[in-house]
Amino acid sequence: MLPEFYQFHHPTKVIFGEGLANDCSHELEELGVTNYFIVSDEVLSSLGLIEQIRKGLQEAGFTITGEFYDVPQDASVEAVEAISRQATDSGAEGLIAIGGGSVIDATKAANFIFSEGGDLIEDYSGAATLTKPLKPFVVIPTTAGTGSENTVVAVIYDVANKTKLAFSDKFLLPDLAVLDPLMTQSLPPGLTASTGMDALTHAVESFVGIDASPHSQALAVEAIKQIFKYLLRATKNGDDIEARGGMLIAANMAGSSFSHSMVGCVHAMAHSVGGLTRVPHGVANAILLPHGMEYNLKVSKKKFAELAPVMGVDVTGMSVDEAARGAIAAVRKLGQLLHDLDAIPLRLREAGVPEESLPAIADVATEDGSVIYNPREVVAEEILVHLKNAY
Amino acid sequence: MGVFESSEKFKEVIVGFFNLLADTPQVADKLMASNMVIRFIYSDPDLVVVVDCSGDAVDVRPDDTETKALVEMRMKADVAHKFWFGKVNLTMALTRRQMVAKGPVPKILKLLPAIKPSYAMYPTYLDENGYSTYNIH
Repeated sequence: MLPEFYQFHHPTKVIFGEGLANDCSHELEELGVTNYFIVSDEVLSSLGLIEQIRKGLQEAGFTITGEFYDVPQDASVEAVEAISRQATDSGAEGLIAIGGGSVIDATKAANFIFSEGGDLIEDYSGAATLTKPLKPFVVIPTTAGTGSENTVVAVIYDVANKTKLAFSDKFLLPDLAVLDPLMTQSLPPGLTASTGMDALTHAVESFVGIDASPHSQALAVEAIKQIFKYLLRATKNGDDIEARGGMLIAANMAGSSFSHSMVGCVHAMAHSVGGLTRVPHGVANAILLPHGMEYNLKVSKKKFAELAPVMGVDVTGMSVDEAARGAIAAVRKLGQLLHDLDAIPLRLREAGVPEESLPAIADVATEDGSVIYNPREVVAEEILVHLKNAY
Repeated sequence: MGVFESSEKFKEVIVGFFNLLADTPQVADKLMASNMVIRFIYSDPDLVVVVDCSGDAVDVRPDDTETKALVEMRMKADVAHKFWFGKVNLTMALTRRQMVAKGPVPKILKLLPAIKPSYAMYPTYLDENGYSTYNIH
């Protein structure tokens, strides 16, 4: 059955290739400005990655007006304000984010104020608050997980109120996403695995969510296929450039999928675990994905069964129920293999979550925005059962 | 030309309906649990209404442009009218920019189950209060 309504809006130009981060001047020229402000982090700078990109841009006639390397693990309102202020003061005409989800989201949100002025929370918190495009924005991801280079969403941590603020607007989408596998080559096994499982969670949840569409599902399926093909390889051997590339593409596709169809109860639980116990988002998703699938099994059996062969399960002779459970088992097995590489924990207790916090985690999860899109109503008592299973 | 011929008429209809919801425990109790202050900013015709759930009862205040609201919802009066018939999917309207929400959108979405009974109340309210010409049900 077709959805009553859906839209697919994908204006971000995506380019993929080894070494493109240092050689994307042709695409930047199309954006019509020459003065860029770079946002990244100290680790990437210390690895010499920023230097190479800066050099490539300067040789092509672009000016780097300034750089910001102080984005915290959870992109904060303060960081967003500092980026926009420094970019404005430097005379920049566009922004380049080089980093993982926090760097990308902070820069994405900074583009609100950098382009339009005003106050981040007062003027832009919410959905579709903009009426025109923002200034040029380029993203070079250095993790293969969030897919934020392809989403309409930025999540910013409001330290003062201890809440995560969601900004959603089609004009937040970057103009250009540069997928260069060399930029993720130095990512350690733990981050490779957890960010990859984050991408898998995006794809699975957007596939079964209530706003899933033929477009978003096609992207989700291809992302899942690539993740099952490449995540273990990229985690085992960071220098496997093909696997690095496959994961970047998968994360990008999963990002686009969930940007259109959103996520569900796994993200609701992961946001809650992250907010209350500071477990990194990818790690929380990696632990909770099979448990969230179990929660949704009774209403999403057919869809999980469709995903089983995509995950490499031989469904010959299987009933829908068996195939659906096969998909969950495949996700568990991938998690186990990554765990065997010491890359991710498999249980909440291994991640340092106190057992006594589980009821509060369940309660907070039911208040998360993601539950709206989950295929099954998210009830605290039942979520708690699955959190205990994950403990 | 929209459904409502003037701001005055739209105010009369929509504020009357909001007050009916405020007096309906099945809906009002859940609105009160949200503790939210929402400002609706309508256009074609223009009208501002604050629904304040932060006190002892749901307080509906037309023309209140001063109170700080947690959420602001902007939409055409016609979209609002259709919404209360249950003919507008809120997530779809946000996606299509038929509605613009400023503030924590998930909190608004979470109110949807609470206001579901109101969809059946709206056409009845219109008929019983002399507004049957606006009943598109």
